[in-house]
Amino acid sequence: MRKGMFYGLLFTAPAILGFAIFTLGPMIASLVLSLTDYNVFKEQTAFVGVDNYIRLFSGEDELFYKSLGITFYFVVLRVPAVILLSFGIALLLNLNVKGRAIFRTIIYLPSIVPAVASAMIWMWLLNPDLGLINSLLSRLHLPTSNWLYGEGSVIPSVVLTTLWGIGSTVIIFLAGLSGIPRQYYEAIEVDGGGWFRKLSHVTVPMVTPTIFFNTIMTIIGSFQVFNEAYILTQGGPNNRSLFYVFYLWRTGFRDAEMGYASALAWILFVIILFFTFIVFRTSKSWVYYEGGDRA
Amino acid sequence: MSQPRKSVFITLALVLMLAAVLSACSKSNTASPDTSASSGNSGSKENIKLRMTVWGSPEEVAPYKKAIQNFEAKHPSVKVELQHIAADYDTKLTTMVAGNDVPDIAMMESGTIAFPMAEQGKFYNLQEFLDTDADISPDTLVPNITYSLEPGNVIGIGPGPESFALFYNEDIFKDAGIEPPPSNVADAWTWDEFVEVAKKLTVDTNGKTAADPDFDPKKIKQYGANISTWWGVYSNFIYSNGGDFISADGKTFGLNQPEAVEALQKISDLMNVHHVSPSPVQSKNIPATNVALQTKKVAMTVDGQWASAGLAQSKFNFNVGVMPVMKEPVTTVVCGMFSIFKSTKHPQETWELLKALLDPEASIDMLTAGTWMPSPKDWYTDPALLAKWTENLEARPSGYKEAIVDVILTKGHQTPTGYVKNFNNIMDLVNPALDKVWLGQQTAQEAMDSIAAKVQAQIKGRRDIKE
Amino acid sequence: MRPSKLSLTAGYGALILISCMFIIPFVWLIRSSLMNLSQIFTMPPEWIPKPFQWGNFHKALTVLPFDVFFKNTLIIVVTVLVGTVITSSIGAFGFSRIPWKGRDAVFAVLMTSMMLPAAVTMIPSFLGWQMMGFYDTLYPLIVPAYFGGGIFNIFLLRQFYLTIPRDFDEAAYVDGANYWQIYTRIIFPLSRSAIIVVALFSFLASWNDFMGPLIYLKSDKWFTLALGLQMFQGTYTAQWDLLMAASATVVLPCVIVFLAGQRYFLEGITLTGLKG
Repeated sequence: MRKGMFYGLLFTAPAILGFAIFTLGPMIASLVLSLTDYNVFKEQTAFVGVDNYIRLFSGEDELFYKSLGITFYFVVLRVPAVILLSFGIALLLNLNVKGRAIFRTIIYLPSIVPAVASAMIWMWLLNPDLGLINSLLSRLHLPTSNWLYGEGSVIPSVVLTTLWGIGSTVIIFLAGLSGIPRQYYEAIEVDGGGWFRKLSHVTVPMVTPTIFFNTIMTIIGSFQVFNEAYILTQGGPNNRSLFYVFYLWRTGFRDAEMGYASALAWILFVIILFFTFIVFRTSKSWVYYEGGDRA
Repeated sequence: MSQPRKSVFITLALVLMLAAVLSACSKSNTASPDTSASSGNSGSKENIKLRMTVWGSPEEVAPYKKAIQNFEAKHPSVKVELQHIAADYDTKLTTMVAGNDVPDIAMMESGTIAFPMAEQGKFYNLQEFLDTDADISPDTLVPNITYSLEPGNVIGIGPGPESFALFYNEDIFKDAGIEPPPSNVADAWTWDEFVEVAKKLTVDTNGKTAADPDFDPKKIKQYGANISTWWGVYSNFIYSNGGDFISADGKTFGLNQPEAVEALQKISDLMNVHHVSPSPVQSKNIPATNVALQTKKVAMTVDGQWASAGLAQSKFNFNVGVMPVMKEPVTTVVCGMFSIFKSTKHPQETWELLKALLDPEASIDMLTAGTWMPSPKDWYTDPALLAKWTENLEARPSGYKEAIVDVILTKGHQTPTGYVKNFNNIMDLVNPALDKVWLGQQTAQEAMDSIAAKVQAQIKGRRDIKE
Repeated sequence: MRPSKLSLTAGYGALILISCMFIIPFVWLIRSSLMNLSQIFTMPPEWIPKPFQWGNFHKALTVLPFDVFFKNTLIIVVTVLVGTVITSSIGAFGFSRIPWKGRDAVFAVLMTSMMLPAAVTMIPSFLGWQMMGFYDTLYPLIVPAYFGGGIFNIFLLRQFYLTIPRDFDEAAYVDGANYWQIYTRIIFPLSRSAIIVVALFSFLASWNDFMGPLIYLKSDKWFTLALGLQMFQGTYTAQWDLLMAASATVVLPCVIVFLAGQRYFLEGITLTGLKG
């Protein structure tokens, strides 16, 4: 197109400037700080080169590898669960049923209830003795669990509690579904195709851009899981829910070792960047844009 | 379609201009970090402005406001600006320090960033004031409520000290025909006596007690005791048994020593052998102390004296006795502190403000409600003053004076956060190991020995002895 | 979509089941807001307040200056919403419908702003705003919305813009339209549902934002609702009854906004209908 460069930059100027002014500086600052022994309370800060990174990778800091492993486990469990469940719920909410306005609102409600209030509910629902879930399980003669209080079950339990917060993901899927032209379904009906054919030939291909978006955002968000550890588990029991960013926060704020925490943060940055990059690269083979453009 | 086009372009242009201005500002100002220090530069003696930061609920902040009013009335040239930081206090204060925007006086907590800040010289040494002030000295305060970075360097003085005691539901004891816990420290139960009573008061859904051979520990309806696995609570028994978190010379880890191990093991046995106290998993079913006792989920519970406030509101027959004694009667004393920042331009006025904040008259509502205890010693020893906050009040039952007031004065022990250096990093190792003890998966000795080498690397000494 | 009777019934059943689970936190909040302190914590929980403590609401909303908090929150929410919708939607247009050299590389760089944990950029950001002289003002909470409104929103809208067929633009170019006209006449209207989603998220994010106000504000005259809610947490215990009542009051506008907003992405868009 003519003058594509000029208009392209013009339209994206606010975003680019915003990044340059508000985001880039702090990011560079933290990168530089990761090479220092920066402690907010100390008057002097010394440049220590890559010492922080050496301390991390040398194995001297056991909690680094431990929290990284726990976070990976969390991401692997959570990302597929969130995508599948929210897509399923979005399909249900897209049905032409009475009262779907109410249903949509209800699915979104947990996302707006303040975390301190909902934390109380997990404490009860997942309570090993009196909790609703265990009493239902034992009534059905199914094995019960210690949930948040068991070393083996704490991560799956945290994943479970986060599934209540998938409202935003569902909404984005709904917006994606609403953009599918009705004629496409009608065409399949004319061909005598059924429910499954519609799903696999129209719905899924048409929402791949939305699936792509939700997958990327869920990966980025899951790697940075923090609140659940902060409010629900405090990293316990026996450090089994010591999420990476929770550990990072503890180092940076409670122990005031902000230089070291910055090094932790940049390692996570590289990890997230890597996985986002992978998803972006593969998207060419599975994300379908009506606009015919590349991702 | 031409109208939105114009307006949006104007917006865009404005945004771009603003961006240019902002980036210009940020460049020109980088060289002068002092531009931010607007807080203290009202230097003239005429009008002094002091800034103060606190946390707390509205009812906790009210006494500070009252104290500030009294202070301002006495010092008309001084204005105090109170900044109420509701949550994530440490995060906020840390960014304020980073931005050179610190208050003159701040409420601090010994378990979090108070000592990391003090170690970098952020606070005034209050010893200088204590030495010369006519009104206040360590002897006029309740013991264990000043915090020192090292001997002779006081970094904070606590308002509203808190100690621990054994709260119980009187009706449960009456119905079971059992003598309630004694309130006088001289008559305190031994640990074994305590366990025996707890067994009789632990009842399963079939009505059998833990003393009964047919007792079903899987279906407990009422626990005889509740001793939580928070260090604030179990530290009482470690001290009572002659143990400590760290050795007396500050050189070695203390929790793997026989006295501490025995105390930890006895608490674990309470949950896993005698089944009279909820395990950490079961304790998630146990509501706050006032509700647990009121609803007879628990017969007696070791808790901080602040629980009195909630108990008073719950309207049932509760009372308080002394904690069982392992070897010596001891209570851990915990409290926040007020610290004065070194950067203050008005140390003398800030010190006067700190004194005003300790005044029990200002916090009388919190004292009578049961949440706090006063800091000056004469409010414990002078009968007229003592009566003001302990007599004819719902929050202060008949055992209160003996079980709490007498004990905190003579049997107090400083909180470990006050004297164990590097306490948080030590506990980062201890807590996961203790999780296994509380669940009965390891003995206290095994668990503490397994981490001893790692903890030893984190031992940095004690703050209460000269190096 | 015209599903069969059977699948409709099954879908209905599933929806009701899921809704029952998802409504629990909200019901919990409401029932707790009407209880006294000891009933809130009773285990197993009770669902009907006994007696109804309507006074919680009065007490919670008068003990702190919630009118001031509300005013500040409203200022932030409205200005942020306007800025976010405008700049993120034009930004997304520039990243999806205009071909230019280096576009995807620039987009990738912007994406990185979501990948670094906020804990380590918080202090540098704070220092930046402080140096510019905007500490203890609402600007740090508002101005960024006018600079792209967050890459999350740009990315979201980009994904939706990319699904709109190219033919539409081509036809418009042939008719002599420029990029601006394509944006305002074709892309923006066709992405209405996604833009409403962005507006909704923007509203909820700034309505509930706690960390931003905590860091950038210091005088209580600027405090927001999310900050005010935290003030019921005491040193030893929280005033749960008041906290719950205040939370319920603060959440209610969100529920209303959502109920109103979701109507707009209920209806699917028929492309042919808009072409004419």
